[in-house]
Amino acid sequence: MSKKVDSAEKLTDEERILLVQSQKRHSDYQLTALSVIGVLGFLILWQIAVMLGWLPSRYVPMPSRVIQLFFAKWTDPNPDGATLGVNIIGSLQVALTGFGLAIVIGVPLGLLMGWFHAFDKFMRPIFEILRPIPPVSWIPITILWMGVGLKAKAFIVFFSAFVPCVINAYTGIKQTSPVLINFSKTCGASNFTIFYKIGIPSAMTMTFAGVRVALGNAWATLVAAEMLAASNGLGYMIQQGRQFARPDIIILGIVVIGAIGVLFTSLLAKIEDKVLGWKK
Amino acid sequence: MRKTKIEVVQSEYERKEQLRRRIYAVLPIISVALLLLLWFLASSAKDSNFPSPKDIVDRFILFLHKPIKDMSLLGHIWASLKRVFIALGVAWFLGISFGVFIGWNKKANALLGPMFTAFRSVPPLAWVPLMTMWFGTGEFPKVLIVFIGALMPVVVNTQAGIANVQKLYLDVGTIFNAKSRQMLFEIAIPSSLDAIFAGIRTSTSAGWMVVLAAEMLGGKSGVGFLITRGMDSGDYSLCLLSMICIGLVGALLAVITQVLERIICPWTAKKSS
Amino acid sequence: MDSKKIKLKLKNISLSYIVKDKVFDAAVGVSMEVRDSEFLVILGPGRCGKSVLLNMIAGLEKPVEGHIRLDNEEIRGSDERIGMVFQKLALMPWKTVMENVEFGLKMKGLKKRDRREIAQKYIDLVGLQGFEKSYPNQLSGGMKQRVGIARAYTNNPEILLMDEPFGQLDAQTRYAMQDEVLRVWEAEKRTIIFVTNNIEEALYLADRIVLLTNCPARVKEIYDINLPRPRNTIDQEFLRLRKLISENTDLAL
Repeated sequence: MSKKVDSAEKLTDEERILLVQSQKRHSDYQLTALSVIGVLGFLILWQIAVMLGWLPSRYVPMPSRVIQLFFAKWTDPNPDGATLGVNIIGSLQVALTGFGLAIVIGVPLGLLMGWFHAFDKFMRPIFEILRPIPPVSWIPITILWMGVGLKAKAFIVFFSAFVPCVINAYTGIKQTSPVLINFSKTCGASNFTIFYKIGIPSAMTMTFAGVRVALGNAWATLVAAEMLAASNGLGYMIQQGRQFARPDIIILGIVVIGAIGVLFTSLLAKIEDKVLGWKK
Repeated sequence: MRKTKIEVVQSEYERKEQLRRRIYAVLPIISVALLLLLWFLASSAKDSNFPSPKDIVDRFILFLHKPIKDMSLLGHIWASLKRVFIALGVAWFLGISFGVFIGWNKKANALLGPMFTAFRSVPPLAWVPLMTMWFGTGEFPKVLIVFIGALMPVVVNTQAGIANVQKLYLDVGTIFNAKSRQMLFEIAIPSSLDAIFAGIRTSTSAGWMVVLAAEMLGGKSGVGFLITRGMDSGDYSLCLLSMICIGLVGALLAVITQVLERIICPWTAKKSS
Repeated sequence: MDSKKIKLKLKNISLSYIVKDKVFDAAVGVSMEVRDSEFLVILGPGRCGKSVLLNMIAGLEKPVEGHIRLDNEEIRGSDERIGMVFQKLALMPWKTVMENVEFGLKMKGLKKRDRREIAQKYIDLVGLQGFEKSYPNQLSGGMKQRVGIARAYTNNPEILLMDEPFGQLDAQTRYAMQDEVLRVWEAEKRTIIFVTNNIEEALYLADRIVLLTNCPARVKEIYDINLPRPRNTIDQEFLRLRKLISENTDLAL
């Protein structure tokens, strides 16, 4: 039988598992290496370009300079009037306040709107009118109403984060499986119980997606608000960088803003995994 | 006697339903009315700078007579739209190409992906000071910033769409001995069109928002400029008027992109018989 | 005579999946022969092994051991002489019926006019003339599968694989499609390897039935069905065979 001939080359089960695993690891390493090369390559090219004068150093600081500045700025309040730490905290304060409020108000609102028709019919038109107006354009009205300060900034940030929370919570709960709802009804559950025990959990995936978008919006709007009307914060720092013709400050600000954004995203992803782990 | 009793029960239920439906129909009207009332109260309160609906209409008429910076309201709207359209056009072209490239080729994704994610995490507006430092306050930096804001969602969505093509369709390609290039253009890209359009929709609304903010930060034309102009000169009616226009145009853009999708992807619109 | 000629030969085919740290055998040591122009049905319980065998013949998966010979030469990977009709409706939703059916020829590089001519022939054969410009989501389940069959035939394969193609259809459509597939087969004779888990369907269609065991799949028994077509499902001989096979079939739990 040919089986005898093949068995000489045939691997045992364990050997086969090890082979496949090592192949997978090899290709993972390859990809990771490529990623590292990509990032390092970019930085090195940038550095060389400025050093060799391909890019004007007056306008483009070297990455090494930016890194230097990062460390220096923790203690040096020049020229914008605050150290890096103060700016970061200032921005985070406003962003997280607005964001937090948006979740606390927006998600329940969306869930309620999605479930109770009367509420939906009432809130919908207001919402649809306010939705297409970008948060940034609310700034002057907000300033008129609340003056320049923390409240105004927080409100604008709140508004930009509020919209995706509501929309996603609404869409999420609307797509609760009718089978589950009907089943609960046959068990004698009241409308509110079904809402609480079935509707809300079903809506969580979409809601989380909305929360992610909301965080991104909040952070982006915060930067805009700070650039337009503020006296501290990362957005303000960047503006000042321009005022004082310090591109290194600008780039430092950009990098910090981006880094915090990435931090937020990965934090959210971890929380989502914990809360929605059962979905996987 | 019994028959009459049943009839009464039925019509009572029907009456309840009718009442409920009537309430539903009226509710939106009530809420809008309340909103307008709120607006009216806010504007007619003592010492209030808040513009009333009448103020808005007046301002609109005034605008028709007196252009700002030599441009009518429509002119400013068009100035903003022009920037958006140019930026979107380039963003879609480059974004979809790049997205397809890194979606299809795992190695390219590993090499270029991380840097792209890094750039993507920076809110588009944060680039404004840098761009104005490098390129001044003319048209180019504004369009460039809108381009950056619009590029990100297109690339992200396209990449996701291409990378997640259903294996089933790729299997069909394999059975029919399709070459790699054919797989990409005949199978992967068409199957990802809905994801690509999601990116296009997001990029349109993002682009509209970014152009306004960019104009608010420095410029001589456009709807965003009108807002800052109003803000600086205490002309709050102008602000509110501009906001209304912005909302309307934004909604219009969303509708247009939806229509575009229906035209290009007819198979998504048609219902099965 | 050609009817006894061996078209496809599987020798000792095995496939295992490695999931996390465990080896999962889908098929072990499967050997069988497929005769030219016959309608062979592979019958097996549950979801083990049957589709995997077809996938290996089609070249979508590679066997861990053993080899497959077509006309006595070994084949590896996908061969254009082998076509396939999928279970899950695999029509490309962004292409019209005509575009789907001519897909294979387009991949080969035929000119549009030639492609359309050949494709039209098979669209007519499966009875879908008039629907060339429709999109799949406008068609019923049975119609979609007919397009799948036309698409496979258009590429002029020598062997046609059908992976539980009627599994998603309701009972009535299923019976109609069984007659359809036999009709098309009689009109254009090819070697067909048809996979199903339904005993009646197997008996209704097959020249021979290969019965597989439960997971991991092995060949349990091969039955020659010598009943004349069209088959009568309440014929005594039919029912006897049905009972025989049913008792021999492993349960899939």
